[in-house]
Amino acid sequence: MADSISSVCNLAILDKLSDGSIEEILESYNGFCAATDTLLNGAGDLSVGPQFLSHVHGLCKHGLESLLRDHFLGALERTFEKNGALKFWRHFEAYDDVSVEEEVFYNALEEISLEKQYQEKCLLILVHALQSYNHGSHDSNDYRVELFAKYQMSVSSVLMATLPRHFPEILHWYFKGRLEELSTIMGGDFPHDDDEDDDDDDDDKDDMDLDDKCKVSYRSGQMEIDECYPQGRFLDNNKLVNNIGKVVRDLRSLGFTSMTEDAYASAIFLFLKAKVHDLAGDDYRISVLESIKGWIQAVPLQFLHALLAYLGDSVSYDSVSSGLKSPLASCPSTFYPGIDTPSEGLVRWQLRLEYFAYETLQDLRITKLFEIIVDYPDSSPAIEDLKQCLEYTGQHSKLVESFISALRYRLLTAGASTNDILHQYVSTIKALRTIDPAGVFLEAVGEPIRDYLRGRKDTIKCIVTMLTDGTGGNPNVSGNTGDSLLEELNRDEENQENAGLDDDFHTDDKQAWINASRWEPDPVEADPLKGSRNRRKVDILGMIVGIIGSKDQLVNEYRVMLAEKLLNKSDYDIDTEIRTLELLKIHFGESSMQKCEIMLNDLIDSKRTNGNIKATITQTSQAGSELGDNGVSMDVFDATIISSNFWPQIQDESLNVPGPVDQLLSDYAKRFNEIKTPRKLLWKKSLGTVKLELQFEDRAVQFVVAPVHAAIIMQFQDQTSWTSKNLAAAIGVPTDILNRRINFWISKGILAESLGADSEDHVFTLMEGMVDSGKNGGTNGSIEDLIVADEEGESSVASVEDQLRKEMTVYEKFILGMLTNFGSMALDRIHNTLKMFCIADPPYDKTLQQLQSFLTGLVSEEKLELRDGMYFLKK
Amino acid sequence: MKVNILQWHAVASWTWDAQDETCGICRMAFDGCCPACKLPGDDCPLIWGACNHAFHLHCILKWVNSQTSQAHCPMCRREWQFKG
Ligand SMILES: [Zn+2]
Ligand SMILES: [Zn+2]
Ligand SMILES: [Zn+2]
Repeated sequence: MADSISSVCNLAILDKLSDGSIEEILESYNGFCAATDTLLNGAGDLSVGPQFLSHVHGLCKHGLESLLRDHFLGALERTFEKNGALKFWRHFEAYDDVSVEEEVFYNALEEISLEKQYQEKCLLILVHALQSYNHGSHDSNDYRVELFAKYQMSVSSVLMATLPRHFPEILHWYFKGRLEELSTIMGGDFPHDDDEDDDDDDDDKDDMDLDDKCKVSYRSGQMEIDECYPQGRFLDNNKLVNNIGKVVRDLRSLGFTSMTEDAYASAIFLFLKAKVHDLAGDDYRISVLESIKGWIQAVPLQFLHALLAYLGDSVSYDSVSSGLKSPLASCPSTFYPGIDTPSEGLVRWQLRLEYFAYETLQDLRITKLFEIIVDYPDSSPAIEDLKQCLEYTGQHSKLVESFISALRYRLLTAGASTNDILHQYVSTIKALRTIDPAGVFLEAVGEPIRDYLRGRKDTIKCIVTMLTDGTGGNPNVSGNTGDSLLEELNRDEENQENAGLDDDFHTDDKQAWINASRWEPDPVEADPLKGSRNRRKVDILGMIVGIIGSKDQLVNEYRVMLAEKLLNKSDYDIDTEIRTLELLKIHFGESSMQKCEIMLNDLIDSKRTNGNIKATITQTSQAGSELGDNGVSMDVFDATIISSNFWPQIQDESLNVPGPVDQLLSDYAKRFNEIKTPRKLLWKKSLGTVKLELQFEDRAVQFVVAPVHAAIIMQFQDQTSWTSKNLAAAIGVPTDILNRRINFWISKGILAESLGADSEDHVFTLMEGMVDSGKNGGTNGSIEDLIVADEEGESSVASVEDQLRKEMTVYEKFILGMLTNFGSMALDRIHNTLKMFCIADPPYDKTLQQLQSFLTGLVSEEKLELRDGMYFLKK
Repeated sequence: MKVNILQWHAVASWTWDAQDETCGICRMAFDGCCPACKLPGDDCPLIWGACNHAFHLHCILKWVNSQTSQAHCPMCRREWQFKG
């Protein structure tokens, strides 16, 4: 006590004091201390009150009001520490971890709250004592406010000073447990609107919720409600929420306001995160954003609403007060079914929760963006969700970084075929332009793909095929089969033009995005003649041409491929080619396509000239007797006459066509020269196609082949066995070319190859009368078997591939069998398995690269699928 | 075995039966077309002069029309006459 006195000693007062006064002071002070002691430790005994009052008055008389107040508060603090705080913490000491039983938690809070309430009662006695001394001269409320504030402060500081480290976590676990309980109660009726149509009729949904909720609440039996309340009110009477509300209130009163809020906020956020993961899943064909928002409404917001209502929401513990309401204020009834006017606190919570949900979903979708784009357009709903999330969060740069690294890891690898990369590139553009209509970060995402593709030899060829060929060999395309990308792009463009009216609406979106993103978009061309519709938009074709660098290269490649097709294939459709050319003209300009136009024109002209010549020709051989068994009629002959200056360089190999055909050629050329003088024809004898029928005694087989194949097989009519040297001389080609070309007939089982006397000189023999080995699939009597001879390719590279393919075919069955058993396998594993099991007949001796190129072939034949570096059987 | 040819589709290129490869006026290939034309062949024929020099028809016509007096062959300077 002595130190208490000295600490408040006021020397000026002491000077004026008489001995009597000192006596009186000492007496009052001792009495006051004793009474305080009795009061605080008296276990609820307030009988000492009147005594206490007179001592207070005695001291006040001598101006020692502040001394007695400080003493009283100090005594309160010491008592609170002893009877409140330490006892409180003792409840939790038994728990090593943080999962404290609910009952223990409630009891501890109850106990400390009672102690605090009792102390507050004592404090009130002091307040009354001071008031009664000073009545009139002092605003009575001041004592109350000031003293209670000091008391509250000392309670908080005692608790904080003694706080066990794991207490915040205990709080977190408590709220987590309660939220789970709550969610189970609410969860049963949570609307899983898998069907997007549900979004349109929110009102119906809400009604349904209400009904369901009532059923659940009756069933669960945990709630003290006996009638169906409107949705928002329903939780108000909930025992669970009341308990939580009480806990929060008690904790706040102990000064744990922000710690408590942190605890339930983190519990809510973690719970929300788990829910988002749960709802989002791996199905990209449905939108989940509405379900998530629905869940936020149904569980955490209802919980918060009830909690804030219990606590008397007026307490705004968020320091920021702003106009955050605006997005929701306009339509509160939709956002808060059953809650008439959401409080600002609740609105702020909704914004926080939704932002968090958007961000969580966005992060989830971004990590799976690669798969989502593989599934595009089936995955459009997921893309749409992602778009909305990004518009909300503005974190587009996250997407760019994450997707680029996924691309490098998943797509831009040696194992991916150029076709796959290209199709993923196009899908990426299509999918991302929804999110990024201005194409700003598509630029960034596309760059690594373009760089990678530039390093591939077959890129241009694949691009041209993809653009112009509907069948393009792409296993990923769903629907639209038979439509070239060019056709699709053109259709899109037409649709966009037709949908011009909607464009103002989209412009807002675009602007919103541009504003939200941190990226600097390229400046928009300001051409007053062009409407907003013609503002910069993602140009898919431009981005594809961008891979190659110039459209000229692309056009050139197209020209070469077109020439190849027109001259060596018989199954092209001239109308389709004309249509493709028209589309190319639209995009690349008429002059770029002029040569190709002349090429197609040659084809059309040739038809006309053919008719003309065949109608007026006098066939030399027809007049004579040569048109015997081996004769060929002009009726089965026609020619493509090309304007060679406009065609790509054409590799014409020497060839002696069979005599009767040679006669036709010269008759035809002669007539051409007569009609078109002074123009003449130069035959390219190795080019063209021949449809022929091999007639055996027991069967007939039809083929469509190159002239060289026809020339070869026709030699076997009169002589069934040839050495390669002799045969090469007879048809006028070099031996190595003969040996390569004759493989076609060997592979069909028509000819057999054997070693002759000279090891350099192979012998080829006609397999006449051989029982059908099944190689050509023709059954006896079937003459409709039309087989198109694959062009074996001019370059030696192609023939190496053909060779490998032939050798690998033995393993095809084995590979398909493995995949049937294992579902999916990576390249390495297939390779190692083959090495392990195929040790004989013939042993597997291929390199990883060879296997890969073979598998790529199987993928393009649609026998296999390659996803994420794993091979699957194509279903 | 007997081979029946059901269809023979051959390929040829056409060319002008001229001594020179290019037109002396426009310097373009005869087998191409003159600068004014888009399609070669029938649409942009060659024409021979009495001096046996050949030109794109469109080129020599333009040349002849541009001359104020009697036109001369741009190659040999002889009086230009279309070969009959
Ligand atoms: Zn000319
Ligand atoms: Zn012309
Ligand atoms: Zn001349």
